[in-house]
Amino acid sequence: MTLWLAYIRRTPLLLFVLLYTIATGGPFVWVAVMSVRTTPEIFGNPYALPSRFHWDKFTDAWTSSSYGTYFWNSTIVVVTAVALVTVVGAMAAHCLARYRFRGRRLVRFLILSGMVLPPQLLILSLFQIMVDYRLYNTLTGLIIVYVATQLAMTVYILEGFFAQIPQDLFDAARMDGYSDFEIFWRITLPIGVAAIFTTVTLNFIILWNEFLYAVVLMTEDSKRTLPLGIMHFMGGHQLDVGMIATGLMIAILPVILIYAFFSETMIKGMTAGAVR
Amino acid sequence: MTAPAANSGLPAESALSPPGILRRALNPIPVFLAPALVIYAAFIVYPVLRTFYNSVHVIKPRNVAEFVGFANFATLLQTDPVFWKAVGNTAIFAVVGTAADVVGGLLLALCLFVRVPLARVWRVVWFTPVLMSYVVVGIIWVWIYDYDWGVANIVLHWLGLGAYEQSWLGNPKTALWAVLVTHLWKWLGFNMIISLAALYAIPTEVLGAAELDNCGWLAKLVYVIVPMLRPTLVNLLVLSFIGKMMIFDLVWIMTGGGPLWSTETVSTYVYKRAFDWNTFDLGYPSAIAVLWSLIILLFVALMTQLLSQRDKLEF
Repeated sequence: MTLWLAYIRRTPLLLFVLLYTIATGGPFVWVAVMSVRTTPEIFGNPYALPSRFHWDKFTDAWTSSSYGTYFWNSTIVVVTAVALVTVVGAMAAHCLARYRFRGRRLVRFLILSGMVLPPQLLILSLFQIMVDYRLYNTLTGLIIVYVATQLAMTVYILEGFFAQIPQDLFDAARMDGYSDFEIFWRITLPIGVAAIFTTVTLNFIILWNEFLYAVVLMTEDSKRTLPLGIMHFMGGHQLDVGMIATGLMIAILPVILIYAFFSETMIKGMTAGAVR
Repeated sequence: MTAPAANSGLPAESALSPPGILRRALNPIPVFLAPALVIYAAFIVYPVLRTFYNSVHVIKPRNVAEFVGFANFATLLQTDPVFWKAVGNTAIFAVVGTAADVVGGLLLALCLFVRVPLARVWRVVWFTPVLMSYVVVGIIWVWIYDYDWGVANIVLHWLGLGAYEQSWLGNPKTALWAVLVTHLWKWLGFNMIISLAALYAIPTEVLGAAELDNCGWLAKLVYVIVPMLRPTLVNLLVLSFIGKMMIFDLVWIMTGGGPLWSTETVSTYVYKRAFDWNTFDLGYPSAIAVLWSLIILLFVALMTQLLSQRDKLEF
């Protein structure tokens, strides 16, 4: 059969692919367009292209609608939490992958069971605990909670990868007189850098988007993270669609940037384990 | 680095690891594990135990706890119509949503698997909603469902189905389904990516043999592809099911459980009873959380057993 005939036969399929692409990508393009249009313009015609690019809306959102504060809160919380969970998780994963010791299976089960733990079992008592320890409404409190909740997935991905590093490397390093900590620092980490990178990007996206723990543990406006800030702004300015769209764009852009550069890594990371 | 041994909960004889090498230095195992275990014990294990404790108490402000036995559970099961409404809604999400998620994801993956031009580009676009926060997705879809200028009504109007135009999130009959569609829109890409990876992992000889046997595409799907993808599909079913049973964010953002409890889910009800109802009692919502979590675990165990799944549950 000639090629063009094959294509004609598959027109419905191609049409569907195109439609679904519009359905998934379209809304984001729409928000991007609205983010540089003013609210009166949007109410004039919600689906028109910008007649003039109002980039000043971004500076406006940043300063007068306190999106700047929300953005920095999110950045501080997410960067710190990701850094901590990576270090703590890598140490635990290295230990579980490289050492045989009593209680190893128990420790492993305990940590990995966190992956299927319903967050409802945590939020109410975490709220109490944070109040008890005066960590309620603090960025520190949220960081600790994020580290704890992301630990299971981080250890899971890293352990699977670290376990594949050939034992010979470690034996050789020990012959050369490396201590246990040097082995972790100079063998496991450099070789496992790809896996670590995967967990970093995954954790970054998950925490940047996180809503449930933040909404329970943060009520002060000056402490809100971006998702909470946008919700709060939406609550007070239902009709200011243009400004909400600008806020959404501020939340979307970092994710899109990371995705643009590392889409393959991220897709691999999310696929890791689910396919065997 | 944190102090070793003391708080790691590990027995001392774990020092056996590097055989034949006696090290005077720190035992590495507790040092490596201590930070993770301390964080885990304090902020995962302890809160879970405390939730169980709360569930059999009435918790007043300043943490005054009064033991009430299983009274919370009795009230919950016998005299709380909102809870049962929430259970019904969540069940719709869990059953319809999970099935649509897995089937839809597989079909999307097949679209890309049959060598559509530019498949890599579509794959990247289709996956984008997975990476967006519920706040972004929720607000965009609140606008899409807007009665006056939302694209949902505009498309209906354009197709000549103007009679069906309505306020999708304001109507108790449609609100739940509208939220469900949004949830599917966000997660289909995830199921698609995983199914696609599994499809590429099928040995080409198997598909080639099916073609030699003059196997139609539907038969090939039902008798060859689905059985070969079974472990992956079961994983996706379980993951999607857990997610739908715990659905909170999207409902909270789009409808807040309204109108008239029509989108109330178990998780939003837990949140409302704890923080919105001014009852200041954390015991009752904890009881809901405990009961619901046990039900989720039970169903997950059942599903993995029935579908004879040998692999571990994985992310």
